[in-house]
Amino acid sequence: MVSPLASTAPFPYEGPPELQQAVVDALSRVVDPEVALNIVDLGLVYGVCIEASTATVQLTMTSAACPMADLIVDDLTDELDRVLPAGCEVEVQMCWEPVWTPAMMSAGARRFMQGD
Amino acid sequence: MPAPTPAAPAPDAPRLRSRPSARTQTLWRALLRATLLPLVASVLLVAVTGGLLRAGVHWPVLPGPTLAGTAASWHAALMVSGFLGTVIGIERAVALKQRWAFAAPLASLGAALLMLAGRHDLAVWLALAAALVFIGVNVVLVRRQPAPHTRGLLFGALAWGIGNALLALGFGSALSTPWWFAFLVLTIVAERLEMTRLMRQQPLAQPLLQALVGWLLVGAALPALQPELGAALYGLALAGLGAWGCTYDIARRTVRAQGLSRYMALCLLGGYGWLAVAGLAWAATPLWPAARDTALHALGLGFVISMVMAHAPVILPAVARIKLLFGPWFYFPLGLLQAGLLLRCAGGLLQQPDLRATGAALNALTLAAFALTVIGSAIAWQWQGRPRADRHATPRTPPP
Repeated sequence: MVSPLASTAPFPYEGPPELQQAVVDALSRVVDPEVALNIVDLGLVYGVCIEASTATVQLTMTSAACPMADLIVDDLTDELDRVLPAGCEVEVQMCWEPVWTPAMMSAGARRFMQGD
Repeated sequence: MPAPTPAAPAPDAPRLRSRPSARTQTLWRALLRATLLPLVASVLLVAVTGGLLRAGVHWPVLPGPTLAGTAASWHAALMVSGFLGTVIGIERAVALKQRWAFAAPLASLGAALLMLAGRHDLAVWLALAAALVFIGVNVVLVRRQPAPHTRGLLFGALAWGIGNALLALGFGSALSTPWWFAFLVLTIVAERLEMTRLMRQQPLAQPLLQALVGWLLVGAALPALQPELGAALYGLALAGLGAWGCTYDIARRTVRAQGLSRYMALCLLGGYGWLAVAGLAWAATPLWPAARDTALHALGLGFVISMVMAHAPVILPAVARIKLLFGPWFYFPLGLLQAGLLLRCAGGLLQQPDLRATGAALNALTLAAFALTVIGSAIAWQWQGRPRADRHATPRTPPP
């Protein structure tokens, strides 16, 4: 089911509309410790799909050589577990295409990093 | 920026599920941690003891003169290949998420242990095998993400391979040393280059870096034919890279943040300063041999260990699953590092052996203080009731 609010999410979202904001907030609490920015503002979340009892998150990293992936996935899973219904499994798919670029950062993150 | 449309995950891309694979990964990591950490720490201890002996500090921690002699003779190989090569190999294997990649750090660690057991003949070839696997790991990463920073990491791996090949073929560690340091410098600079992408793009940053890296590699190769010219080129390239880091690294911006980000930035900027000092000293060695100790240790300790101290609070949680509570106590070993290095460099340049030995002892104390800081911070994390990751990382959420 595609959320009617999908256009307001910072990433493609499919799932129950009532969960959308909680999912966005949960993912915004997950931080890439190397740059001290959250993964939503960094543009690392390529999409979230919640159907049946599985929430699938498509995620990328700023670099293929980044060793932080497991740490970020653990934090992401912990945060989503807090807001998803009991029994809903979290699945994370690591995507390397399209390759992450700094243009995927939010305006606020760019302001912080680039002084815009 | 419209939201990206992700392609299907590549066949070799890791597909991570939450709980089932987390259990497997936890077991795998626990096994690695239980076996690798004590061995890596032992190699570091022996390598540091060897360095102290070379500086004239007799610290009777090693049993028997043979091991002490080996530690002193092979100090550089043990530090660069045995310790740092293993740690970097683990970090890269964790990033690749393929178990064969752990063959590189296991082989470099095995080579260090063979060296300590007196089997130098086997150790040098196993160290070369480690570098070759590590090159393979980096080739896969470049194919996964062809980008300047992944190519920089690959160049670093190639430099390690050349240094280890020269040693295995019997050319001696003097010719390997510039390649070993090129491995460390390129690895660190490439990792920092990845971070600089987040800043506003500077048109000169990339071409300047490429020129300096090329210059460094030529300088590393030349000592076989033109030792003086090679040293001058290599040293000036190092100094240029130090200046590049001070100018373009993201640390210039994050030093204005708070907590961990500020600490990391200060480590980084200080490290670039030592890199520039090391480069100038390296370039001066043909005319001023007394500058050699400053060149080697401003680079190996001032630059490399500063970078290790900067990244440990974020790399350890990622690689070893040891979370740390950051606090101002992290600045103590950082300050000790600066004091020890200043004494050591002054002692070396002024040819005052006692001053140099005191500096070297402080350098060793720095590593011990940093290890205790890390252990204490890990315990503090547990006592705090495992606070959330964002407290550990002191995040900055940008304003909307």
